[in-house]
Amino acid sequence: MLPSPFEFDRPSTIEDAIRGVGESGDGMFYSGGTELLLAMKMRVIHTDRLIDIKGIFGLNRICLNEANDIEIGARCTHAKIASDPVIREHVPALSSLCANVANIRVRSVGTIGGNLCFGEPHADPPTLLAALNARLVLIGRDGTRVVPADDFIRSELETIREPDELLTLIVFPCPNGPVTYRRFKHGERPSVNVAMAWSIDAGKATIKGARVRVGALGSRPQPLKVVEDALRGLPVREVRSAIEAVLTTALDELEVNEDRHGGADYKRHLAGVLLLRNVEEAISVGGGA
Amino acid sequence: MSATDNMSAVRPDLIEKVTGRAAYVTDLAIPGMLHGFVVRSPAIHARIVSIDTSAARSVDGVVDVLTGDDVASFGCWGVVLKDRPIIAIDRVRYVGEPVAVVIAETIEIAENAAELVNVEYDELPRATTIQEAIMDNAPLIHERHENLEDFYFKGGARPTQNSNVFHTYRNSVGDVDAAEAAAAYIHEDRFTFPAISHFAMEPHAVIADFRGDSLTVWAGAQTPTAVQKVLSRLYQLPLAKVRVIVPFVGGGFGGKASVKIEPLVAAASWKVQRPIRIAQSMIESMLTCRRLGADITIRTAVDAKGRILAKSAKLLLDGGAYSDTGSAVATKAANRIMGPYVVPNLRLEASAVYTNTIPGAAFRSIGGPQAVWAKESHMDNVASAIGMDPAEFRLLNFASRGERIRPDLRALDMDMGELMGRVTQSFAAKAQSSNRRASGLAVAATDPANTPISNAIVRLKIDGSILVSVSSIEIGQGAHATMARIAAQTLKQPPSAVTVLRTDTAVAPYDWGTGASRSTVVVGLSVENAALDAADQILEMVADVWELPRESLSLVEGGISTGSEVLTFHQIFHRALGVDSGEVIGRGAITPRSKKGALAESPLFWETSAGLAEIVVDEDTGEIHVPRYASAADVGRVINRVAAEGQDEGAAVMGFGHALHEALEFEDGQPINATPIDYSIPRISDVPPVFDTILVENGDGPGPGGAKGMGEGAILPVAPAIANALFSTYGIRITDLPMTPEKVWRALQKRS
Repeated sequence: MLPSPFEFDRPSTIEDAIRGVGESGDGMFYSGGTELLLAMKMRVIHTDRLIDIKGIFGLNRICLNEANDIEIGARCTHAKIASDPVIREHVPALSSLCANVANIRVRSVGTIGGNLCFGEPHADPPTLLAALNARLVLIGRDGTRVVPADDFIRSELETIREPDELLTLIVFPCPNGPVTYRRFKHGERPSVNVAMAWSIDAGKATIKGARVRVGALGSRPQPLKVVEDALRGLPVREVRSAIEAVLTTALDELEVNEDRHGGADYKRHLAGVLLLRNVEEAISVGGGA
Repeated sequence: MSATDNMSAVRPDLIEKVTGRAAYVTDLAIPGMLHGFVVRSPAIHARIVSIDTSAARSVDGVVDVLTGDDVASFGCWGVVLKDRPIIAIDRVRYVGEPVAVVIAETIEIAENAAELVNVEYDELPRATTIQEAIMDNAPLIHERHENLEDFYFKGGARPTQNSNVFHTYRNSVGDVDAAEAAAAYIHEDRFTFPAISHFAMEPHAVIADFRGDSLTVWAGAQTPTAVQKVLSRLYQLPLAKVRVIVPFVGGGFGGKASVKIEPLVAAASWKVQRPIRIAQSMIESMLTCRRLGADITIRTAVDAKGRILAKSAKLLLDGGAYSDTGSAVATKAANRIMGPYVVPNLRLEASAVYTNTIPGAAFRSIGGPQAVWAKESHMDNVASAIGMDPAEFRLLNFASRGERIRPDLRALDMDMGELMGRVTQSFAAKAQSSNRRASGLAVAATDPANTPISNAIVRLKIDGSILVSVSSIEIGQGAHATMARIAAQTLKQPPSAVTVLRTDTAVAPYDWGTGASRSTVVVGLSVENAALDAADQILEMVADVWELPRESLSLVEGGISTGSEVLTFHQIFHRALGVDSGEVIGRGAITPRSKKGALAESPLFWETSAGLAEIVVDEDTGEIHVPRYASAADVGRVINRVAAEGQDEGAAVMGFGHALHEALEFEDGQPINATPIDYSIPRISDVPPVFDTILVENGDGPGPGGAKGMGEGAILPVAPAIANALFSTYGIRITDLPMTPEKVWRALQKRS
């Protein structure tokens, strides 16, 4: 199957790209195309014009900035993030996530920005980025706005990004505690995934704060507030019992779709299994004390 | 030897394939060729009210649009039942059925214009599952059944008039009721098996060139002579005017056997009298054919010592909207649910039914995985019920070498106990299992329909090079490399001297087709005969010209030894013919009368397999891991070890797909995962880290050097072996495939 005919443009600046998409009709940004081109070939997405952003300088940088934030250019491929030394050192969970997204062909050309903008509920990166409290930088005709990763995906295959807004950067504070991510998949995409990020006090004995996100169950990653509350200020050695005490309540609050990935009760159960496995890992790698 | 020489020695086609030079149908271009795009039915079962092609026709570059009205007069085609129109005429019977073909200058134009074809449907009552199709008042998917006796297989279908049952096969031995009345224990189980996609890497692609009274077709067909025959009958062309050319084929697994989209593409070419190419996408091929799903009830009666007294099985197979070879699948499923056991009293009944879903088709060991899934899971249930070890229960009941499993089938030609022992030893020889690891066993003996009809031509050239021409298709299994070796061994020449031609029915002699594990044996024998015929001719030439006794002559590499000297082929032809040119053409034929009728009895050999799976279950998620698997087959003699092991491994890995991943799912007839994204097959990471292939060779097969056929057996034991491991160690019995994590988890929940 082939896509309907379209024009192709490769601007070299963000301004030109935004202008190109917005001009008329329904142009779309394009980088890896691993989702977009498939959808166009299946003719579920129609577009007049593809604006290739691979000619724009600087959209594939990864660095630790002066504010101790990690910046990832939206056009970074999964493979690049997986092998990046900064990510490997500071967020090994993200490195390993990116090393296992989809398949090697997707990882070689698919980008993290494209993954987020597609809004696919059964995806790996959105869950972990939400747990990392990432902020997404969107540049549009009327300027720049920064939105929390939690708010970016509105519902299934729908984000808050305007068609002529370009996602340029993903920024999140350099973690100061263990970050863990697990998924369960039996097929192409994850059935459920759980990401957890702790910030730990200097003595490595107490959790100052925790962000826990469960993905793929509803239309977008969901926080496990009850678990986050239970973990806040908790000595690491008390984590297991604290989570066990609230786990059922926490899981019951999740919105869970029945779909081809399984029944709601099964996937809810899996979320609990993955969370507990993340906890064990967090205790062993980060909690230390 | 360099790595590439090494690869060429194993399979001459490998270098071409890994370097991308191998040409498949989709790589070909015929001068003047147009492109077709198929408009498919979104309806499950509906009357076609109208088809409006005017908007599509008005698009620049669109040449024509083919619809049912154009071809209604040609009537229907089929290979067992004549039930299939070239393209939907007044009615569609499944989602995906071709309704129109837009023919255009480019594939892009054709596909874009296809969106403008407007078809109005009027929905009809439907039957989308076996159960719906066999209900008393079920809507009839076909009103009448026209049987073609002996057309493709020996025999035909046995349809039940005024029903959706298009074939029923029965076989009965002894008195099951009396045996059950005397039995110490009777156990009955029911199993189901889903539709499964062939998922060949190369989707169906065909070019047809209809010119006046002749038709040339380029197709990735496994059975080119069947394609030729159906096209000849359908379009009333002499067989000699229908030419089928098969370049490289990117996997078939039965999905390219019999006849698939060739009549449709030929019709498009007939309409515009220009070559037409239709290259389907993966999704379209998933909507073209699939393995038949099954619903199986099986019952065994045993005596107090655990000997099987009687077995009965009722199998219902979901044949989809058109029968194709579904009747043979049902018959084979019944035959494949028996052995390799001694069953003195037997009652088999297998029916294939029409449903409003994608048509069923042959698929690696037709009916085998469905039957063996049921019978081998059932064997462990019976063993457990009577308190016997499942391996002992099997050993006690195995038919021995030379014993008949059923009076009308050839006696078992191998030792099943040995085969089972070999897989068991494979594990025992390695490190001890941890206590969380479980293992399960299954065996199979199937009767390939390997139709002993084949011809081959072997030409020995003056320079010692050899050309082999057969209708066997190189479909990735290594058939052509095997034919080359057989010709080389027979003529005492190096394998590198032999070239096997890609199949072209204008050149290649008649053969039944590539499937049913028959090529090495049946086509191999005809190649051997043809090589012997060529040898005879060249030896005769030397005996005659040099005036030497024939007994003193023998073939050696590069020529013929007279005992005192070696004459090169060059010298022989030159002196015999007077010029420095020439060849001898050897012809070999195999018929049911060959070898004094020894090939006539069915099956030609028993295709046998044993599988032992070691599994570890993540009880929190239900996920099954298979760290070790051992697969054994009695293949008589190995001709090409790398290729033979590859066939065994490939079949087993396909079995892992059936066991753990695959099901082509329908919701009320609507396919819901017929895309490569939603349909999950095993990846290399799903292959057991320890995988043993054991090929038993006793040189006792009917093929060249005592070879038997292979390549379909290893798929069979995988699912029941895994299920039996789940049963023995985790206490759960899964009765429908695939064994997904969720299914396993739910069974574990129910248990505790």
